[in-house]
Amino acid sequence: MSEPVMKLKNLKKTISNKPIIKGLDFEIYSGEVFGFLGPNGAGKTTTIRMMVGLMSMTDGDVMIKGHSVKTDFKNAVRHVGGIVENPEMYPFMTGWKNLVHYSRMIPGISKDRIQEVVRLVGLEKRIKDKVSKYSLGMRQRLGIAQALLHNPSILILDEPTNGLDPSGIREIRSYIRRLAAEEGVAVIVSSHILSEMEMMCDRIGIIKNGELVSIQSVQDALQQSDQKEVALEAEPMDQAFQVLQQLLEGTVSQGGSELLFSIERTEIPNVIQKLVEQNINIYSVNVNRSTLEDKFLDLIGEGTIE
Amino acid sequence: MSNFIQLVKNEQMKTYSQIATWVMYIVLAVFIIGFGVFMKVDQTIMDDGQTTDGNWKQELQAENEQLRQQAKEQEFVASMNEKQIAMNEYRIENSVEPGGYDVWNFVQDNRTNISIISLLTIIVAAGMIANEFKWGSIKLLLIRPISRTKILASKYVSVLVFAMTMLLFLYVLSFLTGSVLFGFENFMEPYLYWKGEDIQQAPIFQFTLAQYLLSSVNLVMMATFAFMISAIFRNSSLAIGVAIFLMMAGNSIVGFFSDKEWAKFILFANTNLNQFFTGTPIISDLTLSFSVSVLMVYLVLFLGLSWFFFSKRDITNA
Repeated sequence: MSEPVMKLKNLKKTISNKPIIKGLDFEIYSGEVFGFLGPNGAGKTTTIRMMVGLMSMTDGDVMIKGHSVKTDFKNAVRHVGGIVENPEMYPFMTGWKNLVHYSRMIPGISKDRIQEVVRLVGLEKRIKDKVSKYSLGMRQRLGIAQALLHNPSILILDEPTNGLDPSGIREIRSYIRRLAAEEGVAVIVSSHILSEMEMMCDRIGIIKNGELVSIQSVQDALQQSDQKEVALEAEPMDQAFQVLQQLLEGTVSQGGSELLFSIERTEIPNVIQKLVEQNINIYSVNVNRSTLEDKFLDLIGEGTIE
Repeated sequence: MSNFIQLVKNEQMKTYSQIATWVMYIVLAVFIIGFGVFMKVDQTIMDDGQTTDGNWKQELQAENEQLRQQAKEQEFVASMNEKQIAMNEYRIENSVEPGGYDVWNFVQDNRTNISIISLLTIIVAAGMIANEFKWGSIKLLLIRPISRTKILASKYVSVLVFAMTMLLFLYVLSFLTGSVLFGFENFMEPYLYWKGEDIQQAPIFQFTLAQYLLSSVNLVMMATFAFMISAIFRNSSLAIGVAIFLMMAGNSIVGFFSDKEWAKFILFANTNLNQFFTGTPIISDLTLSFSVSVLMVYLVLFLGLSWFFFSKRDITNA
């Protein structure tokens, strides 16, 4: 791979003697969407705030395109666009004025560029309205527009889908994918919602209690295990239960009106055929795509905020 | 540098995009025009039965006789009348005709409205930093390739620009209102005032301008104070409350400690620079250069603390 756009070097943060971030080391490359995943309170936001210089680092450093955020803040942050938590724009100004405001803070952003960004996020029609009249989705778009003004090499989005409806989430997702693919922007997305990350990211780093517990590519995670959780609704149930128990050697459990079992993906048609041969009526077969979620829960445990 | 001007422009844009700012200007305008109308009505009532036959020197002499007579009868008005008598004699000796109440007197009287401007500037200064935290926009503001020091400086300069704009608004509007209601007279009309034991004379235009500037010292100090509280505590209500309280209580504080050795180092003993140009200082051993030095020390202290807390602390909440 090429040179990393962002590099975290043994990043640590201690607040009143309590270690919050305990030494993070990872790299992010251009054109990839990196998911930063962890339960609430794991240190995602703290890490992101350190990346953009909102919080000081206790130890270690963050390098952006070779510039240290600690010692060369201006040159490092020049390449960063971001939204930290909610996209909090000035509600009493129009969307356009908000963008003009941020454009004045970095030299070399023309009116044309602002217009281009507005088009990119699809806000042309409402850009002259006050932000106080925007829906959350529109604010989120304006937030992204603001972050893209200066053509950043790295885009940091903290909980970008927070509070959005499903169609809004989908839209943001497609923006992010497009930015990474077409403009080669490296995107860091933080979230605690796993299914979202699975759909959006190339790589996911899982953080727990201030430590990175795992980094892996989404593709790998999905392929790694072919063991599927299946829920089957059939009648008569007793008969189906017996057939399954014979086939799967006793790993079947009964939950409500469904039978639950774990099975290799390739074996599923086989099992269904056997059931049909026994004249058992099958009403539904549901496969839980929860491999990543299981893995996630395995890694972080449940309810483990220190 | 151009970068810095852009930042100040940003702050101005934010200030003037808020309806509250325009309400402030309307309030000030109501005070000025209302005061003008009040003075006009008052004057019309007082004018009844007065004659102006052109011989003002004799009138002044007659007035002096009356004042002397009054002083003999009533002890307590004696010193006040003495000053008036001296002023009248000065006019007679130097042929300075007392003009009627005109636009310049009105502009001069409107100087009291600077305390309203102080109040409004405190509100703006208190919000400068605290509001960015309240809105959460501070996070987007500080992730630009601009040092926090520069952002803080642009915000402070913006407060000063706002105060100056308001002062100019007061000066111009009171001039216009005064011209309409009381008539316009020339710029060079002389104005008499006391300096210590002497009577001084200056063109009224110059005098009012100087008075406006001198009266703004307190305004700048209190606005800077509010700005500091805003930067340290990130809470605009607190900043407004403390600053307005101190502004109101300032003179009482000085009065309360006036017999102490260190009283002259209290900020409020030094904010009234006017006392060195007209009248006599409250604390006798104060001098202009001393007061200016004390003010500078306070200013540096306020700005230094603002800078320290704004640039060093983590942005955690908000």
